Amino acid sequence: MRKTCTTFLVAAIVAFFPPVFASSAAGQQRAVKRVAPAQSGLALHASDSTVPVQTLLDPMASEWTRIPPQRIATNRTPRLYDTEAPADSEIPYLDVRLARAEGKLILQMVWCDSTQDTAQIAKLPAAPTEGRPHKELTEATDRFFDSAAVMHPQGLPRGGTWPSLQMGDAGDPVTIYFWNSARGTARMQAEGRGTTKRTGQSFPAQATYRDGAWHLAMELDSIPSGMPLAFAIWNGSQQDRDGRKYFTTWLKLE
Amino acid sequence: MSRHQYAMVMDLNKCLGCQTCTIACKKLWTDRDGTQHMYWNNVETRPGIGYPRQWDQIGGGWKDGQLQPSKQPGLDDYGAPWEFDYEQRLYEGKKKPVMASPDPVSGPNWDEDVGSLNGDDNFYFYLPRICNHCTNPACLAACPRQAIYKREEDGIVVLDQDRCEGYRYCIAACPYKKIYFNEITGKSEKCIFCYPRLEKGQVNACAAQCPGRLRFVGLLDDPNSAVHKLVHVYKVALPLFPEKGTLPNVFYVPPFNPPKRTNYGRSILEDPRLPLEYLLYLFGPEVKTIIVRLEEELNRAQNGTSSELLQLLIGRDAETRYQIRPQLVQIQSRIGKHS
Repeated sequence: MRKTCTTFLVAAIVAFFPPVFASSAAGQQRAVKRVAPAQSGLALHASDSTVPVQTLLDPMASEWTRIPPQRIATNRTPRLYDTEAPADSEIPYLDVRLARAEGKLILQMVWCDSTQDTAQIAKLPAAPTEGRPHKELTEATDRFFDSAAVMHPQGLPRGGTWPSLQMGDAGDPVTIYFWNSARGTARMQAEGRGTTKRTGQSFPAQATYRDGAWHLAMELDSIPSGMPLAFAIWNGSQQDRDGRKYFTTWLKLE
Repeated sequence: MSRHQYAMVMDLNKCLGCQTCTIACKKLWTDRDGTQHMYWNNVETRPGIGYPRQWDQIGGGWKDGQLQPSKQPGLDDYGAPWEFDYEQRLYEGKKKPVMASPDPVSGPNWDEDVGSLNGDDNFYFYLPRICNHCTNPACLAACPRQAIYKREEDGIVVLDQDRCEGYRYCIAACPYKKIYFNEITGKSEKCIFCYPRLEKGQVNACAAQCPGRLRFVGLLDDPNSAVHKLVHVYKVALPLFPEKGTLPNVFYVPPFNPPKRTNYGRSILEDPRLPLEYLLYLFGPEVKTIIVRLEEELNRAQNGTSSELLQLLIGRDAETRYQIRPQLVQIQSRIGKHS
């Protein structure tokens, strides 16, 4: 894993102690061809890009290395259910890059996860099961898959008030772009915790797992400046799903 | 609280372990993609490991008003079905014995008829199981999506496939492990007490097909139903693991018959075929009173007095065993109840 993920840590340490780590930092950055992360605060910057959306949808495309990543701290949700096992907090941050291209907002998310929890799951056949001799098989009943999501309010916040991070509020709905490493993407909407619904639509996204990190690119609608975004990550190997996840605060898109 | 409650009583003295109920259910409900490991109705040998493996040991249910944690059963705990390689043996000329493939490691009723020892004597019995359609369902309480609900009209616990997101908190919460995950659809599934059949006045498929005639079905609140009489009037049927706190609506007449071959003149409790401790484990302390009551009734009948209870338990015809009342159960529409 830990090649990329260790690199992130080294880069962070170097940012604090530049004279001490100058030489090793240069070596590390050359090795991974990365731009050092910018301090994001509570704002997110989207770079204008002339690169086609199809190219940016490859999360490993070299174009992404020209945009400085914005590092966002993650938080772990508290235990929500009595039946839940305790979870470790081993994904402390994610790196986000945003590019505006062809009227779309393209998002790249990179985060360290030492376990790649994904699978090839057979699609549910369209033909009815009656008279069809072969049935697709459940291969496991106790595994969960790595996932990620980004959420934004459906309208620009009124009077500077942002909706609840817990899936919006009644009358103040949120849109969620949800990616699951085994099941693909789904657009969802919600008006408060427990109300999340699939819209039936999906969206383009591509992901690569390399060197202990997920690299994910998603094609979002043209989300206007001033809109807050919040991110979430699920680690399948610690049974993350639903509200059992990592989440960030709202970050305003500049 | 539902306005009515369908319930089932199973007389464990009559179960043959033939799995006809299992196959009836399987063919009707779980012969689909992703359901190969699912038996909404299963019959397991007791004492034994059960299906899924060790379900009675791994947790779930309620304690002091709190849901209890549990392991998620894996595919091996259910037992993946296997095929036999007849092709190799019969057509490809390989002179090897027909083998199962993949190599089986477990299965439903894996330890069929193994049982245990009572002194020097082997004993076992069969335990047919469906969802208990509990009055206080742990699965319903555990679901953050409100995908599980108890039908107001008849108390049947169902799982809304449109709302389910496959989180599986329900599987952990159910102390009977009677909810199953379908990885192809990404959603969980469970026994629906054959409500589409009940709505047409037909009894559940598992009951209809049972050659042992051990199942009784009706509304628990219908004073004319066999289930009401067995549970509330004669008080000879008990739920499984009552201490799990879910208040099941499937009840069992505990196995007490036949008596041991050598215990002539002695009561069942003096020289039992099955150790009472095991029945206490499954059904709680009331089981002892019930065995005494059933034995007294049996003695009376053997002395020439007619026994309405034993006639009911024999249940010669479907009219005696099943009181399906679609006319009493006004089907409710759920549209608009959930956002």
